[in-house]
Amino acid sequence: MATQLAGMGHNAGGPVAESHTLVSQLYHPGNQRDPARINEIQARLQQLQKGENAWEIADSLLRERSAHHRFMGALTFTVKVNVSSGDIEESMTVEILAQLVNHFVAIVNEGEQAMVIRKLASSLTTIFRHPKSPWKRAIWQLAASLAHGGYVSEQESQTVNFLNGVLPALSTQQALALSFFSVALAEDGLRLEVEPQDAKPILERCQANIEDGFLLVRYIMQQISISEAALREESTEVTLGNEAMSSWKAWLGVYASRYTSSGESLQGIAVQCGQDIIKMLRFPTLSESAATVLTQAFDNRRWAFDENSIWALSEILSDSIVTMHIVAITKGDEGNESMAYVDLLVAYLSYLHLDLFSDPMKPQNLGILTIVHGIFKTPGYASIDDPATPRVLEYWSEIAECVTDELNSDDPRYQLVKGQLAEVVLGLFNKLLYPTPEDLEDWGDDERAEFNAFRYEACDYLLSAYPILGVELVSVFQKSATTHLENHDWRGFEAAMFCIAQLSEAVDENGHADQCLDAIFGSNAFSRLCTGSEAEIPLKARQTLVDTFGKYESYFERHNPLLAGVLNILFESLSFEPCAQAASRSILTLSKSCARVLTPELPIFLDQFDQFRTKPTATVSTMPKVLEGIATIIQKLSTDQEKVETLERILDFFVQEAKKAREEAGTSYDVARSHGHLVLGCIASIGRGLRADSDEVINLDEAEEQNPYPPSFWNAGPGSRAQQLIMEAMRILIVDFPVDSGIIDSACDILKAGYTESSGLFVFPPSLTVDFIKSFPLGISGTDVIMATASSFLASHASHAAHIRNEAVALIIHVTELFSSMLQTPNIYDPETANAGIDFLARLLPKYYHILFSLTEPLPSSTGNASSQHPPVFAVLLNFTLHALSRPEPLTIRSGSSFWVTMIELRGGNAEETAALDQVLDRFIPPLCQTLVKQFAGRCSRSDLPSLSDALRRTIFNKMRQARPSLATALETLDAQMADTNGNQVPVFSPQDKSRFLETLMIARGARSQTLELVRNFWLKCRNMSFDYTQ
Amino acid sequence: MSLCLNRLQEERKQWRRDHPFGFVAKPKRTEQGTLDLKLWSCAVPGKKDTLWDGGVFKLDVIFPDEYPTKPPKCKFTPPLFHPNVYPSGTVCLSILNEEEAWRPAITIKQILLGIQDLLNDPNPESPAQAEAYNMFKKDRPGYERKVRQVVRENPPM
Repeated sequence: MATQLAGMGHNAGGPVAESHTLVSQLYHPGNQRDPARINEIQARLQQLQKGENAWEIADSLLRERSAHHRFMGALTFTVKVNVSSGDIEESMTVEILAQLVNHFVAIVNEGEQAMVIRKLASSLTTIFRHPKSPWKRAIWQLAASLAHGGYVSEQESQTVNFLNGVLPALSTQQALALSFFSVALAEDGLRLEVEPQDAKPILERCQANIEDGFLLVRYIMQQISISEAALREESTEVTLGNEAMSSWKAWLGVYASRYTSSGESLQGIAVQCGQDIIKMLRFPTLSESAATVLTQAFDNRRWAFDENSIWALSEILSDSIVTMHIVAITKGDEGNESMAYVDLLVAYLSYLHLDLFSDPMKPQNLGILTIVHGIFKTPGYASIDDPATPRVLEYWSEIAECVTDELNSDDPRYQLVKGQLAEVVLGLFNKLLYPTPEDLEDWGDDERAEFNAFRYEACDYLLSAYPILGVELVSVFQKSATTHLENHDWRGFEAAMFCIAQLSEAVDENGHADQCLDAIFGSNAFSRLCTGSEAEIPLKARQTLVDTFGKYESYFERHNPLLAGVLNILFESLSFEPCAQAASRSILTLSKSCARVLTPELPIFLDQFDQFRTKPTATVSTMPKVLEGIATIIQKLSTDQEKVETLERILDFFVQEAKKAREEAGTSYDVARSHGHLVLGCIASIGRGLRADSDEVINLDEAEEQNPYPPSFWNAGPGSRAQQLIMEAMRILIVDFPVDSGIIDSACDILKAGYTESSGLFVFPPSLTVDFIKSFPLGISGTDVIMATASSFLASHASHAAHIRNEAVALIIHVTELFSSMLQTPNIYDPETANAGIDFLARLLPKYYHILFSLTEPLPSSTGNASSQHPPVFAVLLNFTLHALSRPEPLTIRSGSSFWVTMIELRGGNAEETAALDQVLDRFIPPLCQTLVKQFAGRCSRSDLPSLSDALRRTIFNKMRQARPSLATALETLDAQMADTNGNQVPVFSPQDKSRFLETLMIARGARSQTLELVRNFWLKCRNMSFDYTQ
Repeated sequence: MSLCLNRLQEERKQWRRDHPFGFVAKPKRTEQGTLDLKLWSCAVPGKKDTLWDGGVFKLDVIFPDEYPTKPPKCKFTPPLFHPNVYPSGTVCLSILNEEEAWRPAITIKQILLGIQDLLNDPNPESPAQAEAYNMFKKDRPGYERKVRQVVRENPPM
């Protein structure tokens, strides 16, 4: 044993003997079912491996003749080198190395198991990457030592030529052991690349081995190519070949490292190795591994191949054992086990990209393309039984995507590629057939999802190919669809319609494929389908057809005579669960775009709706869409009288349903809630459908002053009963009905439906909105939606604000009361109400500020007390916004900031109003600045800074006169403190710091980024210094 | 080709080779049918065994010219009911924020997986919309009901 290592642990007999016993026990069959004992042994062994006798233990275990002991010996070396790394000097690394190499040579020569040799190879790499190790040409030295039969120094080893002298002296077993080490060393090098900079010297030593690594691969490959043993499965030569190929892959990685400065000569050797490996594809025992390694190299190391490599590979792919494997896949004779060859084929094609299509094409590549197209004939469902088709499709999608960018249409290759892309379409069609019900029965959700994903990938290809293939592409599927429809081949029809549906993205709006679509939708077979006289169409085909209708909105708009039939199918499809969602969506889409021409069909649609509404498929996801569609058509009826007759028919039904829901509330809250939600959701959707066309919407800002609720057909005439029905349904489901956010949402939608109309069924008396909003107690979930409705209500009347003064005042007072109660009783503070209320105030300010600031009396509820103790309504509101701004809730901080930004920028309509506003600001800017500074002083979250900073910068920019002294005072009174090293509280900022902060803010004059930066630094300083805020 | 387009080409290739199951990410097409690499149409499935399981949520990913120095903007279309999605549909997530955790090495795959994680694990510290945030904080059963409805309305393709 070497001197330094031996001296480290005298009297090691006990621990050494113990370690031998422990290893024997660890692997003793009797202990294998006793995990506690195994854990105990392992714990003790780990202790010994890290202890002072570890070197002796490692050495002794490696001398044993048992693989288990030797494995543990190698592991002990690795552990000890790692744990004692700091104590190991250069000389010691050399000593450890010599010892390890001697063990390595010995166990290799004794024919030890691969597992042990690999472990010891890994111990060698551990010492290699020790920072003090001078070891450089490690592969060369280890090879020389193996050839010599014992340790040879690095200097001595290099006296014999590596390739011609050392390597030929190795036995197959020794070459294999050397390969194990070569792989381990290269893989370590790959790991080093992602480590910190201090690993760079070690990586550089590793890189010194690249050439030897590649030369070893070349040597082995050449030996194997002439070895008969390499043709026998499980021979050492086969293992050696596999190891050499892994080694090539690993050294390519090291060569590609960003720190590598090696010259081009190394690349040449790497490429030659690749060519040697390509030859291995002809060896049945090695071809699969070769295919895998080459595929990976194609993906990541394209430079490892040159023209000769590609030529050699094209020869093999077009006619060899590899070709046979791929052809076997397409016949269903081989499956996943041969996918490595398909992967190689695709990698080769991707490598060549458009260069594959040379003019004229190389015979090998023509042969390869035939094989590629043949893959689409593989039996079974793509992705499920046939993994090859999706991979080949990926390649064709890549090609289709780049053709228009990379080839001119007059380039002869363009036509060549076009022909290939068309052939892919034809080959692909059978792969898109949806599984038969029998096959589908055996599939789980994952299989269904995977197959669907493949179908969408295929359509992605079609969309990529469309710019090159044009309408001919659609016509292929059209012909298929019409033929299959005639023959009632529903699977074929479904697949063709699926493709046509996906191609809508390319052809619906521009009408390029209208003739093709006419051929389908104008056919007699399709007419029979529409009238329901056709044999029952299977569910999947129906689902796809329904989906297709929705995707060809523009086509049907241009061909509206077809609509009645199409909508008939859609209404019929509502009864089928898998189709209901898509059918309801398509009904809505088509009704919206073709409402006017559909009015004669309305009675039929209403009858169909009556049938649908009782079906289980009539849910909150489907029924509102259908009703919105129907309402869109109703809106196009020529007279209000016609409209109201139809609407009453629908609304009567919903009032009855509302009553039922109310009865249900007595027994089941959940049933009543969802029933109520459905009823109001449907009524709201009618409101959406009845809305005037967007281009006819009244301009709220420019509309003349008018009565907010003038008498009309709908509130004072024959339409009033319909309006009463809606209000009744709302009353039934809101007053004394369980509060529910879904119901609130729908009720708000009903109210909002008429806000953009001047007259109509959904234009309710303003008091309805006000009463609705006031009816909800403080703190309920959904307050934000309710207050947003209040904002929309006021916005809709902004042009005649004076006419709804009473309603506006009522809403403002309502909010003030909510705020006031939260200020008075902090434990009922509700951030949602605070945020929603402040948001409401911010939105009303621009148009209703004169009403707000005219509320100079205290709240009516506070009368009776001395009014001097009660601030006016507007002051309560402003105080509350400041209070909310000082709290930690992010949304309230955002709405509070936004309120103050609006407030600061508000301009009066005349001098008097401006003066009044200035007076308010004079009073509130000081407390605003105080609040902002407190938040900036580390109290708020970092994400709150942008909104708070906005309020600050607008104040500075617009009101500098008031802002400067207010900020100065706020900073002066800021008592930000931190604990010093003695635990004493000391100020964070000196008066000079504060003054500098103020001046820089003033100089920034409200500029966004500068102000935010200053505020952020201020905040950081407070936070970083363990800011402790004391009042 | 610009750095931005080069990187996006590479992202496209990587995605084709390896992407998580059920996710979609592909560049949109221009009117001429060619790809607009700076605008991707994506879809994120809800994680298995979570409230969002069974839904697939579509979003646009918009890459700025400065990508990958600057992060893309991810926007659910239509806007999604979720505490960390702005009313406009834009996702609020630290890895998408240039001033927070964005790094040019973050891939589209990582972004979409991050968004999938966010679905069931919202960050209450960074609310982006009041509706979902308030329900999440105040009315968890109502929030869950609403999410289930959102899932039903966004079935897989």
